[in-house]
Amino acid sequence: MKIVVPVKEVAVLDEEFELLEDRPGVDPDAIEWDLNEWDDFSVEEALQLREAGGDGEVVVISVGGEEAEEGLRACLAKGADRAVRIWDDALAAADPLAVARVLAAAVGRESPDLVLCGVQSSDGVHSATGVALAEHLGLPRVAVVKALEHEGGALTVERELEGGLVELLRLRPPALLTIQTGINEPRYATLRAIKQAKEKPLDVVGLGDLGLEAGAVEAAAGSRVRSMSHPDTGEGAEMLNGSPAEVASRIADIVKDKMSG
Amino acid sequence: MSGVLVIAESRRGELREVSLELISAALGVKDDAGGRLAVAAIGAGAAQHADALGADGVDEVLTVDASTEHFEPHVHGAALETLIEQEQPTLVLLGHTIDSLGFGPAVAARHGLGFASDVTRLAWDEGPVATRGGYGGKVEVELDFPERECVLLMLRAGAFAAAEGSGGAAARAVEVQAEPRTEHLGFRDVETGDVDITKADFLLSIGRGIEDKDALPQFEELADKMGATLSVSRPLVDAGWMPNARQVGQSGKTVKPKVYLALGISGAVQHLAGMQTAETIIAVNTDPEAPIFSVAHYGVVADLFDVADELAEQFE
Amino acid sequence: MARDPKYDILFEPIQLGPKTLKNRFYQVPHCIGAGSEKPGFQAFHRGMKAEGGWGAICTEYCSIHPESDDTHRLSARIWDDDDVRNLAVMCDRLHHFGALAGIELWYGGPHAPCMESRHNPRGPSQIPSDFEVNTHPRYMDKDDILLVEQMYVDAAVRAREAGFDIIYVYGAHSYLPLQFLSPFYNKRTDEYGGSFENRARFWKECLEKVREAVGDDCAIASRFAVDTLYGPSSIEIGEDGVRFVEHVDDLVDLWDLTVGDIAEWGQNAGPSRFFEENHEKPYTGQVKAGDHTNKAVVGVGRITNPDTMVAIIGSGQFDIIGAARPSISDPFLPKKIEEGRPDDIRECIGCNQCISRWEIGGPPMICTQNATAGEEYRRGWHPEKFHPAANGDKGVLVVGAGPAGMECAMVLGKRDMEAVHLVEADPEIGGCVNWISQLGHSDGNENIFRGTARGLGEWKRIVNYRQIQLDKLKNVEVHTGSTLSTNDILEYGAEIVIIATGCHFATDGLNPATHDVIEGADTSLDWQLTPDEVVKGEKQIGKRVLVLENEGYYMGVSIAQKLAGQGHDVNLLTQMGDIANYMEFTLEAPMLHRDLHRLGVGIHPYTMLEKIEPGVCHAYNVWKPDHKESFEVDTVVLCTQRLSNDELYHELRADKDALEREGIEAVYMIGDAAAPRMIPDSIFDGHRLAREIDSPNPAMPLPFIRERRLWGEVTNQDYEAMLQNTPDVEPMVVAAK
Repeated sequence: MKIVVPVKEVAVLDEEFELLEDRPGVDPDAIEWDLNEWDDFSVEEALQLREAGGDGEVVVISVGGEEAEEGLRACLAKGADRAVRIWDDALAAADPLAVARVLAAAVGRESPDLVLCGVQSSDGVHSATGVALAEHLGLPRVAVVKALEHEGGALTVERELEGGLVELLRLRPPALLTIQTGINEPRYATLRAIKQAKEKPLDVVGLGDLGLEAGAVEAAAGSRVRSMSHPDTGEGAEMLNGSPAEVASRIADIVKDKMSG
Repeated sequence: MSGVLVIAESRRGELREVSLELISAALGVKDDAGGRLAVAAIGAGAAQHADALGADGVDEVLTVDASTEHFEPHVHGAALETLIEQEQPTLVLLGHTIDSLGFGPAVAARHGLGFASDVTRLAWDEGPVATRGGYGGKVEVELDFPERECVLLMLRAGAFAAAEGSGGAAARAVEVQAEPRTEHLGFRDVETGDVDITKADFLLSIGRGIEDKDALPQFEELADKMGATLSVSRPLVDAGWMPNARQVGQSGKTVKPKVYLALGISGAVQHLAGMQTAETIIAVNTDPEAPIFSVAHYGVVADLFDVADELAEQFE
Repeated sequence: MARDPKYDILFEPIQLGPKTLKNRFYQVPHCIGAGSEKPGFQAFHRGMKAEGGWGAICTEYCSIHPESDDTHRLSARIWDDDDVRNLAVMCDRLHHFGALAGIELWYGGPHAPCMESRHNPRGPSQIPSDFEVNTHPRYMDKDDILLVEQMYVDAAVRAREAGFDIIYVYGAHSYLPLQFLSPFYNKRTDEYGGSFENRARFWKECLEKVREAVGDDCAIASRFAVDTLYGPSSIEIGEDGVRFVEHVDDLVDLWDLTVGDIAEWGQNAGPSRFFEENHEKPYTGQVKAGDHTNKAVVGVGRITNPDTMVAIIGSGQFDIIGAARPSISDPFLPKKIEEGRPDDIRECIGCNQCISRWEIGGPPMICTQNATAGEEYRRGWHPEKFHPAANGDKGVLVVGAGPAGMECAMVLGKRDMEAVHLVEADPEIGGCVNWISQLGHSDGNENIFRGTARGLGEWKRIVNYRQIQLDKLKNVEVHTGSTLSTNDILEYGAEIVIIATGCHFATDGLNPATHDVIEGADTSLDWQLTPDEVVKGEKQIGKRVLVLENEGYYMGVSIAQKLAGQGHDVNLLTQMGDIANYMEFTLEAPMLHRDLHRLGVGIHPYTMLEKIEPGVCHAYNVWKPDHKESFEVDTVVLCTQRLSNDELYHELRADKDALEREGIEAVYMIGDAAAPRMIPDSIFDGHRLAREIDSPNPAMPLPFIRERRLWGEVTNQDYEAMLQNTPDVEPMVVAAK
């Protein structure tokens, strides 16, 4: 079984950060990069399926700059076979639809049996890229999968709904699923695996390599960022200061007041 | 293209509240968008919701009796495409819900629509202007959609007020032919557990900040002492420390208690979605930038164990 | 990052007589085991706090004359010019880092047994010490009083010569000036006894004379126990406490306030087991609250939380935050607040291990949280600086994330090792601390004297601090919920393997008294437990419980306390003369004894078990073994001794071929896995290995400087040759005059 797992290196903002003045964005020095938490689970699910099937290939693909290489190597260290990183300057501010369009070109080339995406990324939280990607690939899809079994050529999945309700579904590969956290217990890579991952293939490709024009990104984009600001803290959370004892006393007062009224 | 198309949502025969919130959001921009507001219900039994969806300001309710009894993403996607083709709206509104995630982005991608999800505010400036979070909620982002004749937005549940009124709009059935690509096998209800946190007036909610399962009894005791019901954020359920019945958030319960006291919860968007309409929100977190402070009424930057110890003494 | 403005108040200077204190962080006098005869240790330990931002740092109690000699316990001394020379090193180093230096002039009277000097201490009345054994003072007549007052003056003049900025007349903990003030010590009928003014006269005269001698150049401080907690027989805050403050207020520039007496000074240096942060407030807080002083006030209470500090100053409780233990645990506490990173503060856990070493008499201090305390000079360790390891390219696998493993991985990470993996079998890191920190509770009721059992929850800070630091280290990966076999370790790909797998309690009664098992002891049975099983709560515990305690520290007694508090009938046996000996040194013993007696725990010293049967335990008296006693029991808890979990280590080491084949260059073992020990020693062990991971033979600790008399011609270089290899600590600043 060939499984493609698109992954994302997400931006983690420092507690203190500055907004840029000349265009919407944040000071890059305030950003640290990390592999998206959901991708730990989708990669693990892919590895488990490959192991259960006896043979197969797990390929991880990411749209990202050099900062994405660390996350891709981490996926290779866990057991993925091959990695692909896609980059072009035009992708710097790409929205989910643009990313999905570009991913579709790379994923399509692989002709996968299964595509596993994370439900969302922790920085963008769009929850859209996976399903948009499925559409471009023409694959049947289920979003927000919390359990998965592959038996007799069919996929039986549990879709997680609001309120803890679960729906059971069946579909046939090739298909795309977006994977929810908690579906499995992600493994970690030993030092040896990390070392060996350095030898595994990690190809870097541009838009041209994928047969895409420079303007394809803008054409596919679904939105444009027109401004970025610090969040409105509503009417302002009233901050309570003081020692823990004093703070607790104030909280107690507030609680008693609101509960009696 | 002109007008607004709202896609209502139902599950197991019940209309979901987000549908009315979408209508209310639509009403806010209806005139800018061209003056017409149509609301569509998709799925078997869609017709039964026609009345409820006919709020003041809704011009027409479209019922699409699609081939499936339950939600099916490909069928709903095809239905939406048909509706867009027929109605030619300039703005399409879906809820940012688990069902809609299954087809909203797909339709937008296929037809090159403008698109944004988890939108918390909607305005108009020669086209829709959508506000959502960025960098995990640490910033606020305004999006626009130049050169997109039709824009599809998915609005966060609970971010908009629900529309009032009913029964005022004409209803029309719409035919859609669509094939499902997944097979529904059944539903499984949440473990009912011991408590219904949606009924509690006072919730003491704990999150990743408690760090250790061994700390749970301390907070169970504290909740008892304070007269609160204990609820949790998602990570504690993922880790198996608490049943899903206690979870507040997008994949848990949406709650609206009188008092919501959050200890050690940073406020991931999925969690905020579940509690931001509580009457009084008090949040304790060591991170002054924690997104939860953006919805809290009272905030404390402190170690939650220190505060919890002191609270226990206050409520002896 | 910048300082949060809400902490600005802690950085406002304040005037102390002729001196300016640059901020509100003040290390009050405390013992470390250095004195005047280990000037390197003294200067470098105190200097580290100055480097870390504390505004003033004091010596420990400093004897003014050979008549005040506390041997076997270690005080500083300022008897002669050579002492001046040695103490000046401390003053120079503090001044170099921008802090004021304080000296606590001490005359112990009957509390000082003079076991080295063989002088005879004097006192206000001839009643032996309630703290020391069989030490009678010589009654002070008028000439003696003048003599001793002059000792204070001479000592103050020497102190100024050495460079001290703040000079104390020290009365707290009931030393001589307070012995005159307190009717508990002073039964005199002359003008130095009886009425309040008379009893206050000696202390007042000392202050007057010292002030006259050095008060223009130095700030005059006085340490005063405003309430000795003995009721009307001694000093009470509402009576002589505030009265005395008012009486001599003009003569001091700084009040340093405490509570309690030396016999139970754990009421002041309150362990976290019994006292919460800022616990002295009801007493020491009354001085400013009642407007009894016009001078600056510093007070203590194991204050570690910056927000509490702000509240204390903002509310007017004190002007200055005093700290001993919090400054030992984190010499860089002020700097971390200033740099906007209070989450990096390493908080004191209130275990009183530091104090225990002084109480034993002789050993240098240690600190559970801060393994570098006491090692600043003799090993050149800096709590915040870790020069990169020379073998940083070697991958390291640390197996076990208890105190030793966490510390080792953290320090290796801070030493820029390229890749450190810390793997733990449990779902969370922390090891034994996770269950031990759940002990220390009894029934929640108050004791007859100050100090109610509140649990060891603050010991969890051991884990919290390391968790935060490990999260920040990009080169350290922590994996929990993963048990590694010997094979897993061989295949892991690390060049250096460190086993830190902890220990377990003996299941068969093996013990240090008889060096043998106990007949019938078997904790695999469901009515016999080891201490951790009691906490984990998986076995039922019957009504009548027998606890056998052979270790001599807190484990057995804490189990007894917990179960008695839950309503069980508990009998506690130990082969030693007293239960929990070591807790005498940590000052936890008095409150613990009160708790156990209140709960009705049967305490049986000098008693050992010889046989355990279902329903009954057979014991004997160690002095007279045929004196037997039987205990009817439902449950037995055996706290006899611990055994290392060292199988992995031995299996790995046994197969040298496999190690070579897999590229493993070294296998080390640290903490309880090597030999069960106290938590501070486990943390030290992990810390040391990481500091010395690039030495020629890391398994064997490198030599450390021993400050001692060397025969023949001696220079400081002879002592400091070692510091060439330890670039983290700034070298000796200025040669003493």
